[in-house]
Amino acid sequence: MMGELVVRNLIHRPLRTLIGVLAVGVEVALIVLIVGLTSGMLSETAKRIEGIGADIMVQPPAASILINFSGSPMPTKIGEKLAELKYVQATAPALLQFNSSGSVDTIWGIEPESFRAVSSGFVFLEGHDLEGPDDILVDDWAAKAKNLKPGDTFNLLNHDWHVAAIIEHGKGARLFVPLTTLQDLVGAHDKASIFLIKCTRPEHTEDVMAEARQLIPGYTIRPLSAFLSLMTSTNIPGLQTFINVMIWLAVTIGLLVVFLTMYTTVIERTRDIGVLKSLGAGRAFIVRALLTESAGLCLIGILAGIGLSYLARAAFLAGFPTLSILITWPWILRAGGIALLGAMLGASYPAWIASRKDAVEALSYD
Amino acid sequence: MGITATIREPAEGLTVPGKKSLDPILKTENLWKLYRAGKVDVPALRGVNFAVAPGESVAVMGPSGCGKSSLLYVIGGLAQASKGRVLVDGNDLSAMSDAERTKLRRSKIGFVFQRFNLLPTLPAKGNIAIAQFIHGDGFDPHRFEVVTSLLGLAGRLQHKPSELSGGEQQRVAIARAIINEPKILLADEPTGNLDSKNSEVVLQMLRQLNKDLGQTIVMITHNPEATAYFDRVVHMRDGVIVDGVPAD
Repeated sequence: MMGELVVRNLIHRPLRTLIGVLAVGVEVALIVLIVGLTSGMLSETAKRIEGIGADIMVQPPAASILINFSGSPMPTKIGEKLAELKYVQATAPALLQFNSSGSVDTIWGIEPESFRAVSSGFVFLEGHDLEGPDDILVDDWAAKAKNLKPGDTFNLLNHDWHVAAIIEHGKGARLFVPLTTLQDLVGAHDKASIFLIKCTRPEHTEDVMAEARQLIPGYTIRPLSAFLSLMTSTNIPGLQTFINVMIWLAVTIGLLVVFLTMYTTVIERTRDIGVLKSLGAGRAFIVRALLTESAGLCLIGILAGIGLSYLARAAFLAGFPTLSILITWPWILRAGGIALLGAMLGASYPAWIASRKDAVEALSYD
Repeated sequence: MGITATIREPAEGLTVPGKKSLDPILKTENLWKLYRAGKVDVPALRGVNFAVAPGESVAVMGPSGCGKSSLLYVIGGLAQASKGRVLVDGNDLSAMSDAERTKLRRSKIGFVFQRFNLLPTLPAKGNIAIAQFIHGDGFDPHRFEVVTSLLGLAGRLQHKPSELSGGEQQRVAIARAIINEPKILLADEPTGNLDSKNSEVVLQMLRQLNKDLGQTIVMITHNPEATAYFDRVVHMRDGVIVDGVPAD
């Protein structure tokens, strides 16, 4: 009976129910998408770095794991010293340049030979390796996003590049150019942002890292296999706080809309509340009826939010193929739980007001 | 359990015309009800003494504002008495908390209102069944069928209040009021929003409930013709009962 009452009440005012459902849906979708976008981008970046195939990454002292924002403070000669360490098979310098002009990109300046030595090379889908100083390699996701093909000219960093090849994604960056050209462009002669090291055997990684720490004390030396576990929002300064703030904002919006929806519901149903009281319904019954209605509305909103999340992700990825949005069931359930809690909080005051209405006054309400 | 369960053996102690001497099922003693209007207490009831025997039907008449509805709400436990006592089936409402009065109302009192007061979102069936649900015994299909058949509602149960005539809505309201077999049925001008034909149908049904099933009924009315359907008529004026005589 309570179920029928709730369903019929929700159907009775379809527009109001729709607004409530949309508010909860947007709340859930916001949470799922914000968390999905941050974790997706971090995870995808980590996978690309792991996908290089090297064993160790050397960064300047106190460097962030967000390597795309690194400067270029290390002399390339460090690479020569690292190459002399025991169990080191190859080293490769890379200069990382962040570009936000026109589009957001990170360009890696590499030496084709040394990069091939530490990464076992690219998978070329079309075209050829870096040969000329203006050649650029573009991964398939970026090529799709920028609509590029081999032979095209592509302006980046105020420089015209010749697209030499489309490569398979997953090797550190999406755009690769010759190291020396990039050094000239950004004024970082003989400098590198990172060094990649390939050990003779993977099990020698720890030994090489220990020796490298002695060689260049204070530098940040990480195994690439640890990147996936390190690339989480809690390891990025301020990111977790940003996510929490966004979640609270989403919850607040949902809570306020549910509050207003249920408050207007209570006002509209004042006479009905009086009738229920005349039938012997106690305060607990009135509260339960309204909270159940709110929960029903919220559950529909959660389902709508899940659908909205997947729709939004599809739309984002269609427009921005290089984005990565990771929608996971644990976070869908968490977002649903948060929305349900918010809805219960939002409905609790109107329910309390309703339960305390004077029956006689309620019955005479017009 | 069928509708016949409402027939109860009358107790001794009160004389009802044409019936045995009975103890009152409903009694007020020096009942006062004050309403706050701004900073002033306005008395709606000024020391009402009133008794109704089990199985008795009583019509309460009087001009607007004389306190009829206030009396009904107080004896029905919807409003708290300001002073005096209200005894319902031996329970002193004036000494009860809101929760206790709610519980008593749930089991012993049924209300019928002038404006029907059906829940607009539920069909007729849901409007009747919700009373059973609130009562706590769950849906009793046998009892439901007996009551809806008695009130001629069998073919209208899936219709919402907006799809029913005034007479049908009031019959649904009566069905809702008696579905849990309350000892007392309180009706606040139940024919006030009905035409004469539907008024007569409703009054006959109330009389049938009273005569055939022994349902105690207290009804407020402005309609002198309606009093013919009741055992007794009491008149109120300025918050007090001025007489109480058997109906013709």
